[in-house]
Amino acid sequence: MRKVFFLIFLSTIILGACGGFSLGDGDTSSGGTGDPEDGTAQEETIVLDFWTFWGSEQRRPVIDQIIEDFNTSQDEIEVRHTYTPWGDIWTKNLAAIAAGDPPDVIINDIMTVKLRAEEGQIEPITEFVQDEVSGRFYDQMMDAAIHEDEIYALPFNTDTQILFYNKDLFEEVGLDPEQPPETWEELDEYAAQLDIEEEGTYERIGFYPLIGAGTDIWVLNALGENYLQDDGEVLIDTEPVHETFNWILDSQDKYGQNRITSVNSQFENAQQDPFMSGDVPMMVQNANYYVQLRDFAEDLNFGVAPLPERVPGNGNTSWGGGFVAEVPMGASNPEASYQFIEYLTSHEAQLYWAEQNFDLVAHEEAGVSAAGSGEFDDSGQEVYTQMIENMDETLLTPQPVIAPDYAGTVNPIFESIVSGNTDVESGLEQAQSELEQLVEDNR
Amino acid sequence: MYNTRKMKFWKSFNLILLIIGSIFMIAPLFWMVSISLKSLEEIYRGGFNFIPEDIQFSNYAAVFEIVPFFTYFVNTSMITIFVVLGNVFVNAFIAYGFAKIQFKGREVLFIVVLSTMMLPGFITLIPQYVIFANLGLVNTYYPLVLPAFLGSAFNIFLLRQFFKGVPNSMIEAAKMEGANHFYIFFKIALPMVKPALFTVAIFSFNGVWNDFLGPLLYLNDESLYTLQLGLQVFKEQSSTQWHYLMAGSLMVLFPVIVLFFLFQKYFISGSNILGQTEEK
Repeated sequence: MRKVFFLIFLSTIILGACGGFSLGDGDTSSGGTGDPEDGTAQEETIVLDFWTFWGSEQRRPVIDQIIEDFNTSQDEIEVRHTYTPWGDIWTKNLAAIAAGDPPDVIINDIMTVKLRAEEGQIEPITEFVQDEVSGRFYDQMMDAAIHEDEIYALPFNTDTQILFYNKDLFEEVGLDPEQPPETWEELDEYAAQLDIEEEGTYERIGFYPLIGAGTDIWVLNALGENYLQDDGEVLIDTEPVHETFNWILDSQDKYGQNRITSVNSQFENAQQDPFMSGDVPMMVQNANYYVQLRDFAEDLNFGVAPLPERVPGNGNTSWGGGFVAEVPMGASNPEASYQFIEYLTSHEAQLYWAEQNFDLVAHEEAGVSAAGSGEFDDSGQEVYTQMIENMDETLLTPQPVIAPDYAGTVNPIFESIVSGNTDVESGLEQAQSELEQLVEDNR
Repeated sequence: MYNTRKMKFWKSFNLILLIIGSIFMIAPLFWMVSISLKSLEEIYRGGFNFIPEDIQFSNYAAVFEIVPFFTYFVNTSMITIFVVLGNVFVNAFIAYGFAKIQFKGREVLFIVVLSTMMLPGFITLIPQYVIFANLGLVNTYYPLVLPAFLGSAFNIFLLRQFFKGVPNSMIEAAKMEGANHFYIFFKIALPMVKPALFTVAIFSFNGVWNDFLGPLLYLNDESLYTLQLGLQVFKEQSSTQWHYLMAGSLMVLFPVIVLFFLFQKYFISGSNILGQTEEK
């Protein structure tokens, strides 16, 4: 028994030396006042806790530098950065809001701003936002941050889907490497030329729509708008969407489901990148994919282009996402939080972020400056310019309050069509009616 | 002669089956080792080569540079020591009471304790967080450690079944000699249920060492983070640094593997223990 007590005693001593059991410094958040160095009360400094999911060796130094620049630019606010794991950061945020102990500023998903606003999880910041500030961003991003005429967040960064193609392989089969395909028909023609078929198996897949992209992107591309409109109208059982699925299935029939599954599963499990290896010479990807090509495929001679259009004149509609900076409900000093958010989304901070991370920033002018930045080589400038041009036709699809999880209803049906379990006609009819029902139920 | 031949055949058959099974089980671990020694460039280039073209031991050193791995190791160990001690001794103490001390309402109370097993952890997550936040304990280790000292229904149930196996005659005899329940618990009952204590210790070690959600919710200060949170640094929204992630994961896994080899007979008996509910 003495041994047990000794063990407990010993552990207590060790733990006593360990910060995790000291009570006073438990809560470092909440926008309270205090001295940034020693934690003692000092009226002039407001301490803000800023949560992000940027902890990697690439992103962390960049965000830390932006924070340091803000902290040294004035002496009223001291921002402290807390890294919290990607995805789980928002679970933690919800718990902290419920307990009335949230961070002062958080980076959150742009797609769900309206839902959080509806649920009362974000502080509105309309009163602080000047027109000059709200005019900085791409319109579709700012729209996603507004709910019922109140501004709830400021956009930070975004992305867009573009076509990557292998110029060397284009040349090898006699295609002009400076003329990427512009329509779905051209995509099919180019793919046929790039295919390598041996004994009934495609060793090289010229192009398959669902390697790198999902069905929803092609549906948006075909429609030129979201299949769920703001007013609740559903556009799934329509001619362009029928054509999309028939096109995907034709391509799937050609290459064979097994071959595609094998390429996709290797890609998803990071066992092999089919574009880098030359197995798939044309692939739609998030434009940030350029960074991987730059770092891990130095010799690859590639080009970028907008998503080809369904038919000439239909438009090169693409899809994007992104993140916002917002003030969680219950943060004790929203005005101070906003001051920091405004700095985060300023030209200076956004340009620095764009140059260091090759990330498409929400600040339009900062993005344009980045495209011509000396930090990027010619290829980088070309891709960044394409990203900016693409934003004119990039749709954001924020989750609407009338049907928050609409994709969860529709995507399984889309998958069922692609896997051949449901035919196109009845699948799209079912998706249309289920989504209409969901909207009706939530009205 | 025939029987011996038949036995030999089945023995070899079983052996081959076990070897094949083991290969399937251990292959992911080898794959982890392989990826942890590759460059990210080689990983992206692909191919099924188990042996890396250019072995990168530096990946392991890099993990220590990118995240304060040693600090996280110490933090995780601290929490683990306390949780395991709490789980073993507190639950044993409660279980002893339920098994060997007669008092009014004992059975009803036991059912109430057991019924807490029916509540999924996610339901109590937010209320528990709110309680700890109101107590001012968020961003300390207390929310991770204190629950271990308040009893867990599963462990209480497991240990109670074992304490029931301690003969009442021995307890009566000790009482006749003037021993109280504390003495009987520590000197007689506890040594007799050692295998069950090891089982509880091993399972709680595994649980707390690999716990991600608890530290995620309650710890805000990065200097207090645990290994499981540290590993997440290598995963971001659009890319994962697989080589570092695998190197880090293997290092986190190492103590669990060591523990398994040290206590493997308890690990194996642990899975059979629930069946042993004989009363004496």
